[in-house]
Amino acid sequence: MTVTPVEIAGDEYVTVAARAMRTSDGVGALESLGWWDLLADLGEPDARTAVFAVFRAQGRELVSSPALGGLLAQPYLEAAGLEPGTVVATVPRASARGRPVLVAVGDVTDRMLLVDRPGEGATVAEPDAVGLRPVHLPGRLALHEVDIGRSRAAATVDEARARAARERSAFLGRVALALEIVGAAEGALALAIDHATHREQFGQPIGRFQAVRHLLAWARTDCVAIEAVARQAVTLDSAAPPRYGEVVKALAGRNGRRACERTLQVLGGIGFTTEHDHHHHHARVLALDALLGTSAALVPALGAWLRSTDADPGVASTMLLGGPLR
Amino acid sequence: MSLSAPAAAGDPLLDVRTYAAELDAWLAGRPARLQVVAAPIPAFAARVKAMVELMAVLHDEAWSRYGWPAEVGGLGGSILHRAAMWEALARHGVPGMALFEHLEVLAPTLVAHGPRPFVAEALPEFLAGRQLWAQGFSEPGAGSDLASLRTTARRTDDGWVVNGRKIWTSWARYATWCLLLARTGTPQSRHRGLTAFVVDLRAPGVEVRPIEQANGTDELAEVAFDDVHVPTERIVGEVGGGWQVAMHILGHERGTFAWFRHCFLYQHLVDCLPQATADDDAALGNALLDLVAVTATSHVALQAHADDAPLGPLAAHPKLLLCAAEQAVYDWVLATEPDIAVDTSRDGYAVRRQEYLFSRIVTVYGGSQQMQLDTIAKQILRLP
Repeated sequence: MTVTPVEIAGDEYVTVAARAMRTSDGVGALESLGWWDLLADLGEPDARTAVFAVFRAQGRELVSSPALGGLLAQPYLEAAGLEPGTVVATVPRASARGRPVLVAVGDVTDRMLLVDRPGEGATVAEPDAVGLRPVHLPGRLALHEVDIGRSRAAATVDEARARAARERSAFLGRVALALEIVGAAEGALALAIDHATHREQFGQPIGRFQAVRHLLAWARTDCVAIEAVARQAVTLDSAAPPRYGEVVKALAGRNGRRACERTLQVLGGIGFTTEHDHHHHHARVLALDALLGTSAALVPALGAWLRSTDADPGVASTMLLGGPLR
Repeated sequence: MSLSAPAAAGDPLLDVRTYAAELDAWLAGRPARLQVVAAPIPAFAARVKAMVELMAVLHDEAWSRYGWPAEVGGLGGSILHRAAMWEALARHGVPGMALFEHLEVLAPTLVAHGPRPFVAEALPEFLAGRQLWAQGFSEPGAGSDLASLRTTARRTDDGWVVNGRKIWTSWARYATWCLLLARTGTPQSRHRGLTAFVVDLRAPGVEVRPIEQANGTDELAEVAFDDVHVPTERIVGEVGGGWQVAMHILGHERGTFAWFRHCFLYQHLVDCLPQATADDDAALGNALLDLVAVTATSHVALQAHADDAPLGPLAAHPKLLLCAAEQAVYDWVLATEPDIAVDTSRDGYAVRRQEYLFSRIVTVYGGSQQMQLDTIAKQILRLP
């Protein structure tokens, strides 16, 4: 079935994307949604909404796709002279082992891999000699550590042009990760609501107890905040306030983890087993929080930025007016 | 720019973006008339006086008439104009004025459900700070369980007679009018037997006793009504429709109000940045995230209001997030300025101390945090 998401408004994009993911793997879902073609139209609000809806859907459905790398690569494509769908970007991660690690998300078989090294420009590697070492985590997330090795360079982007693409790429990637985090957290919340409705103690469903109800209401509020902030980012796009991608990502990591902790508490012991799906949602939130800046690192960094710039980041007026005041 | 020209029917004189830019330019010129609120005023009665003065200036200059329909003395436009005004005032360092914020809680409901001829006279007086309003909902025996309230309104030959007692009545000490929720049905009628009235607080039989609050302000009061006459044309909404009026008000208090309030919280945070140290960067970052969450969720509420599609139970989210943001901001403020707890020599500290303490009680007003969570659990999550 071919679905054309641009014809559908609002949250229905997410529903359509989730449906595609239930009937196919991540790669197939992106194909059937025409997702790679939409990437070229990121400047159009409808196409953009559809592009980002995929991330929330794959978080909910625990599906893995190369969409993140595809989105991250998009701002470099023109400079590299490549077409959407042929190349995905790797994500650098500062490892505790002391060396930078390159990560690829989803099945990236047969796609070229873009590596951006600030100060040196970006390189696009042919898939031939690239080494992919799978990272085994719960969360049904296909994650690979990438070794570019001796693979041939299909294209290069010089530092001046890479610099122009870098900030845009990080903004898009962080908003996408935030939406996937909220999708995964919403999935955890749905499991906990189901549990609270059916699990009985003291002769009644535990969802009748106020302590349990309030945990779930807070988890929902955590998710609503991520969703609203990320949606604003998608709407404002390049008119977003300075460092808004980091704000969105930090909030998503913080609130997403918090929501999963609340739902885990409601689920009790069963939520802490591998037979129950909750651990997949929780693990995915943690893994996504670790990409493009953890909330633990971003939160104080944003505080330091605000302190040293000594200025209103202008979020309220920008949102109200759809762009900066002046 | 001349704003004195009459508004065209329908469209406002200035679209939101132009309005915001012109207001920004006016504020950047530091108008002399705004000096009245330039310094912190710890004495509450004096602060109210200054706020009233500010309301008069904004009304005279026409800024506060935007966002209200022409039929009730406004210049047209939507709540987005008002949102832009609040954002600009906060950004230019005009202090947050609970009094003026209160207008945003009551006036939208008066415009939507109030008796038109009366509201057309009363709203301009409210906007100009000449006649203030109180909100008479809670009673000694009816707090979270508002539908159990016992103040009665009995029909007479020439109107209604109100008897009972209200408490936590905001602004009663300073107000001319009180929007009052009274029982017109049987004692057992719960939320179906309530009606909203506008009661003149100057009328015989009204007694206002201000409540001295723990943070040194006294905008709350206890109000007794002893055979107070209310004319029929002062009913808001329908007889027996008081619950709908109350829910309309609380929808504002919880949803769009979060926008207005959080603009000032942003500014409080910015004001305290010079004292900040790196030790508190994480707390500052978290406060920023909490504020941004309010910006985004309350913007949804503003947009819904502008589109005439109220949020209903969803308004509980911005309300909860606003409380979290207010507390996060003031946790950080206290960390950066510990002297606000002990130093009484500076007016600025005194006002900060009031605000810090107020941030500890924000989870109570407008429906307690626990009631908001219950609303979400029941009406949104549909738990058993």
